[in-house]
Amino acid sequence: MKIKAVRRPETPEQARDWARELGEQALYVAGGTGLHFMTDPAEMVAIPLDRIGLRGVECSGRHYRIGALTPLADVMNYRAERWAFHETGRRTATHQIRNISTVGGNICRVFPWCDLPVALLALEATMVLLGDDGYAVPADDYFASQPARRLANGDLLLAVDVPVLEAHMGFGYRKEVICHSGFSLMTVAARLRLEGDRIRDARVAAGAALPFPARLKQVEALLADQPATPDTFARAATEGVREVAWKGREDWSDAYAAHAAAIAVRDALDRALTFARRRDW
Amino acid sequence: MKAERDFQVVNHSVRKVDAWQLATGYPSYTADLAPAGCLHVKMLWSPHAHARLRSVDIAAAERMPGVRCVLYHGNVPRHPYTTAGEGFPEPSPYDQFVFDRKVRFVGDRVAAVAAETPAQAEAALAAIRVDYEVLEPVLSLEAALAPGAPVIHDEPDAYLPIPMPYCPQENIVARVGMEDVGDFADGLARADVRLDQTFETQYVQHAPMETYVAWAALDGRNRIQITTSTQVPFHCRRLVAQALGLSVGQIRVIKPRIGGGFGSKQEVLLEDLVALFALRTRRPVLWELSRAETFTSGRTRHPIRVRVRAGVTRAGALTALGLDCTANTGAYGGHGIPVVMCCGSKVLPLYRAETVHFAGQIVYTNLPVAGAYRGFGATQAYFGTEQVMDQLAEGVGLDPLEFRLRNHIRSGETSPVFAALGEGKEGVPMTIGSCALEACLRQGAAAIGWDRRRPHTEKTGRLRRGLGMAALMQGSSIPRIDMGAASIKINDDGSFNLLVGATDLGTGSDTVLAQIAAETLGVAVDKILVYSSDTDLTPFDVGAYASSTTYLSGMAVKKAAADARGQVLRVAAAMLAAPVEGLLLEGGVIRAAPDRSVTLAQVAHYALYERDQFQIIGTASHVTEKSPPPFAAHFVEIEVDTWTGAIRPLRYVAAVDCGTPINPKLAEGQTEGAVLNGISFALTEQYLFTPKGRLKNASLEDYHLWSLRDKPPIQAILVSSFEETGPYGAKSVSEISINGAAPAIGNALYNAVGVRLHQLPFTRERVWRALQSHAPE
Ligand SMILES: Cc1cc2nc3c(=O)[nH]c(=O)nc-3n(C[C@H](O)[C@H](O)[C@H](O)COP(=O)(O)OP(=O)(O)OC[C@H]3O[C@@H](n4cnc5c(N)ncnc54)[C@H](O)[C@@H]3O)c2cc1C
Repeated sequence: MKIKAVRRPETPEQARDWARELGEQALYVAGGTGLHFMTDPAEMVAIPLDRIGLRGVECSGRHYRIGALTPLADVMNYRAERWAFHETGRRTATHQIRNISTVGGNICRVFPWCDLPVALLALEATMVLLGDDGYAVPADDYFASQPARRLANGDLLLAVDVPVLEAHMGFGYRKEVICHSGFSLMTVAARLRLEGDRIRDARVAAGAALPFPARLKQVEALLADQPATPDTFARAATEGVREVAWKGREDWSDAYAAHAAAIAVRDALDRALTFARRRDW
Repeated sequence: MKAERDFQVVNHSVRKVDAWQLATGYPSYTADLAPAGCLHVKMLWSPHAHARLRSVDIAAAERMPGVRCVLYHGNVPRHPYTTAGEGFPEPSPYDQFVFDRKVRFVGDRVAAVAAETPAQAEAALAAIRVDYEVLEPVLSLEAALAPGAPVIHDEPDAYLPIPMPYCPQENIVARVGMEDVGDFADGLARADVRLDQTFETQYVQHAPMETYVAWAALDGRNRIQITTSTQVPFHCRRLVAQALGLSVGQIRVIKPRIGGGFGSKQEVLLEDLVALFALRTRRPVLWELSRAETFTSGRTRHPIRVRVRAGVTRAGALTALGLDCTANTGAYGGHGIPVVMCCGSKVLPLYRAETVHFAGQIVYTNLPVAGAYRGFGATQAYFGTEQVMDQLAEGVGLDPLEFRLRNHIRSGETSPVFAALGEGKEGVPMTIGSCALEACLRQGAAAIGWDRRRPHTEKTGRLRRGLGMAALMQGSSIPRIDMGAASIKINDDGSFNLLVGATDLGTGSDTVLAQIAAETLGVAVDKILVYSSDTDLTPFDVGAYASSTTYLSGMAVKKAAADARGQVLRVAAAMLAAPVEGLLLEGGVIRAAPDRSVTLAQVAHYALYERDQFQIIGTASHVTEKSPPPFAAHFVEIEVDTWTGAIRPLRYVAAVDCGTPINPKLAEGQTEGAVLNGISFALTEQYLFTPKGRLKNASLEDYHLWSLRDKPPIQAILVSSFEETGPYGAKSVSEISINGAAPAIGNALYNAVGVRLHQLPFTRERVWRALQSHAPE
């Protein structure tokens, strides 16, 4: 794409107003790294978001609010009680990309390899948006299709609310790449809620080897109300991903992607269980 | 590591002579030096793997804004040449033209535009109308060698300039080989354990930081000055002259600092066109390939299918060792012949075998063009042979380390292969001089903890660890072919200008050559001002390839410096009224007695301004008579995830005998870099093609090159030896260590999980599938 002009807003509202005024020509630019993948030859007016704030992580008690303009590196470095989201950031792209890519950029136009959507689905996050007014969209709804379409009318992502993990909840994230700087070929995130030695409920999502990030409902069903044991995980991982149409990219065949999905689900669940059982975090 | 002898400058890790300039970002590279107002070149690359050009219409493109010249086969001279920068006559077919009426791979040249801006040139490409007659592409060795296969090189004017049959009608560049040593069939028959296995290596790319780039301008005398990122300035000058039908004297080639090459820039890919555009437009012209173009249209490593046959007696003696190599050279044949010959010459002599066999062929396909790449054939062959050695050892119940210790070549020994296989012709007989391979094997084994190695049958669980090793040799220069020269002159202040045609491409060879000169002249390294390379100013040198610079050019420098030193001493003798024999030159001072001395600056002054005036200048050429192999023993520990097939190298040890390391830090750097290069080659790098032969992963995002973030701990151990024929005992170090990772990891994989892979890279899926069919417990 070509940038034919730049307009730099000072507030989210100004950004939204300009975007609406420019219509299809408007392009919000957060970190700007996503532009690399946008090959559409259209001429756009860039609206850089670097002066509108929305940066940083805050805890409100029930959830963490992550500003849409928070760089992934800050997410990775953030530490607080019952915060597990850094697990995801740590594995995203390279230092250089993490320093400039933002949370908003990662989830407003979802590329197959994007790490955050999968994690946000599992963590049952909520997106906070600015339309005519502010409004909230749960992850399941937000990631039901490409968010860029929803945002085409100039709506702006303000923040992401990630619920604080309750006691006995654990989060696990697994990502497969060919080498460190490579794109994800498989991403799986899992959140487990335990009750004693049993799994009360689970949210498991996958991406990269799917056309679009999605919950693995079959896996979740096979986990619910089952003992939290390796056998349960193995069965849920193997049987629960069977019906999914996995897509291998780069040098992975579809069959291998399906196999890798089962392993990744199992590993993410193992990790989530370890987290849930840790008392010291 | 301590060298076998004491030196003042050599064997010290002095700072690189260009470190400051590069670290501060001083404009040093080819594109940095391009004059303002350059025209920019863009190329229309072939979208087809195999097609004839029925017509090319450039009229509309010529009328586009900013366009100054459009070139295609209809308006350029037609002279067959090779892009391979090698000694003359090149052991490579003259099967290329500036532009041809046929395209032979996706990414072949069709037409080029020079315009005021890159965008204008790009826009004009879209206006070039080409009518292609698409031909059946030949996309595999099988397809190329099948009876009745489409002929890729059917042009009548291509030929091979060396006395060797050229067989393009069969899609074969040439068949190479040697007479068997002993009765090979009998050697196999006599063996207690015999193996016959075929291994296959993949297309990979050098991916230097700086892509291909060159610019040209006419000087006041209408000569063409080409500034280019090349490993071979003198070959470049000759080949551009050949391609354009010019005389060598019309061309000057300048090589500034280079951002890496690894063999890719032993090719002349851009220089002919920038020169021609400069001639046609009388404007400076710059051409810089993008990363995608470098992947698609640059050079690659020859994928080679290597059949290894070997036999061993129960006592552990090799009765037979044979290789049959079929190399895919892609659309053009440059370097194919010497690469395949090196599969034999750099590999077979490593072990004493009673009978030896070697044969090879170089096959054209409609795939990207292969060329020189660090390791040069040895990399491909060691992948197979070193895995076979492990299997032979296992077959006769020997530890792989012990097996190699028993069988490897040693100092004072020779191999008939040295005389039989050269590069494009027979080789040169050679007796091994320095050889510290045994020490490399022992020190490397101790460093990795080889005695912890247990058979795979004792390993259980999801994650299993394995230890693997490989022994290696390479060469140092191409004997009786390569020539390097140097000149060195004194300045008023006692500093020296060292002019070399040798080509530092980021390796630090200018520093190494300065150290050799400084050692000889008894001065500190900062007194040596190195200049490399400029075909108008510096003496001839074949360039940076075949691990030659330290050994070959280094010797030329040593001789030239000795010549200058002799002149210095003669002048000093006159000044001090003392006999030359009694003089001592050290630290820039020449002493006849403790209280009678002159400085180098005084000597320079005397010679330049005072008495019997003349320029103290030493000059020398050097041709090597042998190619003393550096040796190495590589060890790796890996962890295999048996569920996914993922291999994780945990630790790597590379023990190398490079003779005297002239600059130990640089030698370690070469070793670590080559190991990482080798691991990446073994595990992740590969070209992926569509069914029509288009490269799918032509970017650093999709072509998985290992970076420092992937790097396991690598320990480089420099093991001391002294090569009498090398400058201050030096051999080469830069290529050898790329050869170890693939076989060592292959052997470690077997040691971890009991499966062996014959095809690179060891992707997770390949390992996983092998594990599935092997069904481990
Ligand atoms: C080489 C490379 C490798 C990568 N690897 C990975 C990886 O492994 N995993 C991973 O998760 N990511 C990876 N990324 C990053 C990812 O692909 C995106 O580039 C990145 O997440 C975009 O973030 P940004 O802040 O730069 O967004 P931008 O490029 O600025 O924006 C991206 C899109 O989001 C829109 N947008 C941005 N912010 C808002 C907002 N607040 N409201 C509404 N719309 C908005 C923009 O208009 C644009 O359409 C990689 C990127 C590169 C270049």
